[in-house]
Amino acid sequence: MKVLEDASRGVSEGARVALGELGLPVRGTDGVLIVFWKEK
Amino acid sequence: MGAFETAKSCHAWQEEFVLACPVVPDADGTLFRQLTNGWVPCNILVGRDGTVLFSENEFDEAGYTKAIARLYEEPVRAPPEPTSSAIPRRGPSKAASVVILGAGAGGIVAAHHLRRKLPREHRVVVIDRSSEHLFASSLLWLMVGQRQIDQIRRPLGRLADQGIEFHQDEITEIDLDRRLVRTRSTTFNFDYLIISLGAQLAPDTVAGFDEMAYDLYGLEGCGRIRTALDAFTGGTIGVFVPSMPFKCPAAPYEAAFLVEAFCRKRGVRNNTAIHLFTPEHQPMPIAGPVVGEAIADVLHARGIHYHPLYTFKELRPDTRQIVASDGASERVDLLIGVPPHQAPEVVRSSGLLGVSGWIHVDPQTLRTEHDGVFAIGDITSIRLADGKMLPKAGVFAHAEAGVVANQIASEIRGRQSQASFDGKGYCWVELGDGKAGFASGRFYAEPAPQVRMFRPGRLWHWGKVGFEQWWLHHWF
Repeated sequence: MKVLEDASRGVSEGARVALGELGLPVRGTDGVLIVFWKEK
Repeated sequence: MGAFETAKSCHAWQEEFVLACPVVPDADGTLFRQLTNGWVPCNILVGRDGTVLFSENEFDEAGYTKAIARLYEEPVRAPPEPTSSAIPRRGPSKAASVVILGAGAGGIVAAHHLRRKLPREHRVVVIDRSSEHLFASSLLWLMVGQRQIDQIRRPLGRLADQGIEFHQDEITEIDLDRRLVRTRSTTFNFDYLIISLGAQLAPDTVAGFDEMAYDLYGLEGCGRIRTALDAFTGGTIGVFVPSMPFKCPAAPYEAAFLVEAFCRKRGVRNNTAIHLFTPEHQPMPIAGPVVGEAIADVLHARGIHYHPLYTFKELRPDTRQIVASDGASERVDLLIGVPPHQAPEVVRSSGLLGVSGWIHVDPQTLRTEHDGVFAIGDITSIRLADGKMLPKAGVFAHAEAGVVANQIASEIRGRQSQASFDGKGYCWVELGDGKAGFASGRFYAEPAPQVRMFRPGRLWHWGKVGFEQWWLHHWF
């Protein structure tokens, strides 16, 4: 997939991500907000 | 999902806020590596078709909230395919019209370079709603009484002395198919178009902003801050950034430093608390951790309360409170605000905007996907190697304008242009007390921008004064 080739640079706006293939729960949603956080 | 060391923080977050959303384990960091640039926090919004609609590192809650709202709106009308009746651009042998939208930093520089390079048979036209050019960098000095309004603006009518046509008018439509721009009073056909309209400030999108806060980015707002500071006898002063992005990354910090110095000189510092609220995780994130730490150290040394990763919720003018999404509130007697930034309405309805809400351009040539149409400065969106966006700052509009003028002039004369924007920029960071810091950077460097900060001192402050004087005299 295009986005995996640029993994070290993160996903750019406009790129396509196959969320289902990444194992993310997306069925029946209009979109997904993915949040990466870090404990203080 | 957490940073891959642990899922603990995400489960705790889910529990505390009673969230129904799933926490997906990522113990080995596979998802983290595949989707992020290695920085946290990281928020990515993906639409139902898999298109990434929003991606940022700061904690721009307002930004991704807006992006989510757009998910449920009608899709932006894509520009129609050119039909067989579309007007072709004139060839290089005929007199060309170059139309420049906006007479800010980028527009003025582009106009001057084009006028110098092109014979007079070719038109160079600048359109702006204002009759004057404002050197916006000096608004901070106006705010603390170190400048008067007439010292930092110049009449745009003077452009005519240099063979540049200036039209003061409101732009109402950009018609890319017919290659024309409509204003309230007339229509301009173009062979080349440079969009340099900057970012529109939208304080009205924050309820209570006009009632409770002063606009740091406006001429009137800075004048009102000046008046308020003159009358200030003590209490709490706040500088707040409700959302990203905003132009001039140093400005909120410079405002805090200048206000702090002002209070000391006025003898009210001992009974004044100064706070800075921002969604950024550090001062000037684009400049890297070393510069960020240096600025944070100065904030601490000056006793300015710094609230990074601040999730702004609302203003309450009746009690003069600024409230975060976790319910924490601070009463502020004098509030200085960075208004939300957005693309101007005429550009939003032109079909030129990318998913970021800004015009996507080629990083080197500043060309849009439309033949002969360029965009420069704050209206553009250019992604850097580390995933962050090129900052919105006058120094880049200035440099980009020179590149675009070179390209257009070469093309009109039937030559090949080698001009290319290299992503270099610099900025001063005013510290008050007649001192400033200075940073310069190579923002197109890989894997991340390389920024160097020089030791602060009076020399840099006088350098900024010198630049201001050069600017106002050189172009006018």
